[in-house]
Amino acid sequence: MGEEKKEKRYKSGLLRSLWPYNFNVERYTYTLHRITGVILILYLMAHVFEIYHVALGPVAWEQTMALLGSLGIWEKIGLWIIAGSALYHGANGFRLILNEVFGMLLGKPVLPEYPYTPTSLSRNQKIAIYLIVLVVEALWIWAGIYLLWGLGII
Amino acid sequence: METLDYDVAIVGTGLAGLRTAIEVLRRDKGKLGLRVAVISKIYLMRSHSVSAEGGTSAVLYPEEGDSFELMAWDTIKGSDFLADQDAVWRFVHIATQEIRLIERWGVPWNRREDGRIEQRWFGGLSFPRATYAQDKTGFFEMRALYDTLLKYDNWDRFDENFVTSIVIENNEFKGFTAIDLKTGNFRYFRAKAGVIATGGAGQLYRITSMAASSTGDGYGLAYNAGLPLKDMEFVQFHPTGLVPRGILITEAARGEGAYLVNKDGERFMQKYAPSKMELAPRDIVSRAIMKEIMEGRGVYDEKSGLYHVWLDMRHLGKDRIEQRLPFIREIGLKYLGIDIVDQPLPIRPTVHYNMGGIHVDIDGKVLNSSGMPVKGLWAAGEAACVSIHGSNRLGSNGTNECLVYGYIVGNDVYNYIEKERPSLPSPSQNLLLAEEDRIFGKLLGKESGGEDVYQIKDELKDTMEKYVHVYRTGSEIEKAVTKIRELKERYKNIRLSDRSRVFNYNLEHALELGFMLDLAEVIAQGALLRTESRGAHARLDYPNRDDANWLKHTIALKGPDGPSFSYIPVKITMWKPVARVY
Amino acid sequence: MKVRIRRFDGQKEWWQDYEVDAKPSDTVLDVLNRIREKQDHTLAFRQSCQMGSCGSCGMVINGLPALACQTRIGELKTESIRLEPLYNYKVIKDLVVDLNDFVNKHRSVKPWMIRKNPEELEEAPTEFKVTPEQNLTFVQFDYCIMCGICLAACPTVAIDPLFLGPQALGQAYRYIADPRDEGFEERIDILDDSHGVWRCHFAGACSYVCPKGVDPAKAIQYLKKDILKYRLLHKKKASTKPAELVQKAPPPNAPKPPPFDFKVEGGV
Repeated sequence: MGEEKKEKRYKSGLLRSLWPYNFNVERYTYTLHRITGVILILYLMAHVFEIYHVALGPVAWEQTMALLGSLGIWEKIGLWIIAGSALYHGANGFRLILNEVFGMLLGKPVLPEYPYTPTSLSRNQKIAIYLIVLVVEALWIWAGIYLLWGLGII
Repeated sequence: METLDYDVAIVGTGLAGLRTAIEVLRRDKGKLGLRVAVISKIYLMRSHSVSAEGGTSAVLYPEEGDSFELMAWDTIKGSDFLADQDAVWRFVHIATQEIRLIERWGVPWNRREDGRIEQRWFGGLSFPRATYAQDKTGFFEMRALYDTLLKYDNWDRFDENFVTSIVIENNEFKGFTAIDLKTGNFRYFRAKAGVIATGGAGQLYRITSMAASSTGDGYGLAYNAGLPLKDMEFVQFHPTGLVPRGILITEAARGEGAYLVNKDGERFMQKYAPSKMELAPRDIVSRAIMKEIMEGRGVYDEKSGLYHVWLDMRHLGKDRIEQRLPFIREIGLKYLGIDIVDQPLPIRPTVHYNMGGIHVDIDGKVLNSSGMPVKGLWAAGEAACVSIHGSNRLGSNGTNECLVYGYIVGNDVYNYIEKERPSLPSPSQNLLLAEEDRIFGKLLGKESGGEDVYQIKDELKDTMEKYVHVYRTGSEIEKAVTKIRELKERYKNIRLSDRSRVFNYNLEHALELGFMLDLAEVIAQGALLRTESRGAHARLDYPNRDDANWLKHTIALKGPDGPSFSYIPVKITMWKPVARVY
Repeated sequence: MKVRIRRFDGQKEWWQDYEVDAKPSDTVLDVLNRIREKQDHTLAFRQSCQMGSCGSCGMVINGLPALACQTRIGELKTESIRLEPLYNYKVIKDLVVDLNDFVNKHRSVKPWMIRKNPEELEEAPTEFKVTPEQNLTFVQFDYCIMCGICLAACPTVAIDPLFLGPQALGQAYRYIADPRDEGFEERIDILDDSHGVWRCHFAGACSYVCPKGVDPAKAIQYLKKDILKYRLLHKKKASTKPAELVQKAPPPNAPKPPPFDFKVEGGV
């Protein structure tokens, strides 16, 4: 170990890492967590760039606003995706903090019983995940309605 | 050819091999700076020792009625008095220390409520002294030893190196030759001391509890190097192998109280061993099961076409099974879809252990044809025959033999190097080149012939399964011998279809088959000559034990046409043979 | 039954189809053996115990890493089988992958019993006392058969070859959780690393595919908790190396310190 391995490894790499097909629910949440994380980072960078225009004076700010306004409904859809990402990333992040920092939802070490169902992926964890999905969905739909209402569509 | 220099070369990485390596390194602690090569034809931790299930015998609680005498007596009685009693006496004393030592290295023994090690019943014991870690005892022991070995740094691992021959000149060990499967290169391990710990040869049979890698390479290596094999005709059949594969269902199941039941729902063991019942030694239970099947009280399994009896654990209760036999439950569910909590398992005898092995003395030194130690060569574990197990090994005496002899051999190797300070040997190059040519020129590069390795292997397995099984008769063994000779002739004409160098399993299997054919011949002929029934060797035409003529070890040596046999006396120091009743 | 196998002979890779007779009760390993013995002697795959306790035959079966010897045809519920070598490993030939990295990673977390007084591991007049309840805290993680399947399933190993991986971390926790072991402080700096526990984002795939129920994901989350607790209470920064790892000039004639790099193949 030590230096970077150059040799080719079978079916390895970023795309494989994000491809959860065939695997467990947690691996889907992992993929979603990573993707929403990237979306949030991109949004934050864009947001900082947007705010930066305030310092350039009122004209620049108005121009930026106008640019955003010209996106029309796409701006709202973008915001909606960002809201969804933030909701999911936050809620799932909360679950991961419970897991990783407090060691909750994992179950105690047990004598494994065949067929082996790992306690760390068992009922409590699944309930937490479905609860997150449910809450995030509900809030996200609400956010969508709110955005559409803002546009005057409903 | 690549030459690698080491002080100690250990072939085989089961319990005995790892224990030997640890003992050498542990004694050394950098004093002599010994370099150890650990050579295995598979990866470390894949050795068949991981499949040992039931327990490891040792005297831990003398205050509760156990004693060394009792354990020695059980072992010797179990062996049908063919064991060397001085070796047994030494063995039972070291076992206790080994159990505690590997406990400190990490084995999660099952415990009593007060935190001390728990023990349970096993076949043929007069005190429950099988120390156990669930029903994966061998696996946890391997884990602990492997992990402990990782702690040391003066050793190199040679995973997937298939040893092809032992280099011996003038009664002096000079190293091993091997093929590195990963690259296909030929290697010569030049070493001052060598240890053979390659395990048994269960793959000679069709239905076996042994791993695909247990092909008796160590026996074949020694035999082809002109070293004698001892007591090879004694092949242990474990009574409870899962139908149809022969996967091991541990004796601990019966130790915990399981019943053996025939077609009529009768606990038939009361006819064969009225006092011990299911907990009689393995040879007796195996014979009982085969007798039930032969007399028509076995159950027919349509899928596999095999007859079997039932092993019933339903009365043990789920809790006890989960605590003490989780792996057996897993095996039942996994391979047959049967939950032992509410259904019995179909079982029949399966090949489990070779009592015989490389002829060694009480220190594990390999002896040559004239009974003198070969300088610098040891053998340990199932590959060696001391003999502690005589004609029948007691359940739970296998893993501790590996540990004890790993310890003894490790120490002996270290003492030898410390005292004699041998220098690296220098064999004649012709010997090594001839070996390289035998493998790569004459076998891999051979264009003529058309025999198929796997076809011969299949026929060999069927022959052994049919004619040299639990019950043997002279006429059947003769058929086997004829067939094996024919197969040996055909083996000379094999042709490999894989000509590559990297991971050429075809080549490896061909070399293994060569060893297996030799062994089959030794086993069958030894069985033919021994005209008595003793322990695991049961002749229908000679049903009684014959102490007057046959209280002696068989010694087989390779001759120009087949093995030649001689006999040496058994060392009897404590107990004279008596009738063996359980 | 149709079997598709991903093959590799050192230069080229290809898919090869075989037609085999198979009963639902046969295992994938039986099928492979049948192919090798009756149809194609050149097919390479590892096997040993054939009962799910040695870990040789790990491979990807229909897209999921599993042990061939304990996967029955019947439970796959598909018409054909697709077999590939384990993901995230270098392939040597056909279904045989290179495990050297894997064993190196395992060794680097010091997976052995550590006592403050090493003499206690040399002689054993008595056993250490462990109650059945204490036994339960680690025995699950001792079930590991080192098959390497968890690393094939792990999405993090796919992007970070230096990540220690679920097996090594799980084994570190096996000893840390063992009441007999006192080596937590020796191991913490190996584990508390950007390629150590913190690289794990709990996808749980390792626990999902583990053929022995070891649940390495659980072990890693417990490790994170333990490490955080230790750092908070002992106010040590992650970057400080313990005295042992700081290389001082060894006294003359001292035995060489154990090298961090572990030579797997002699002469390589």
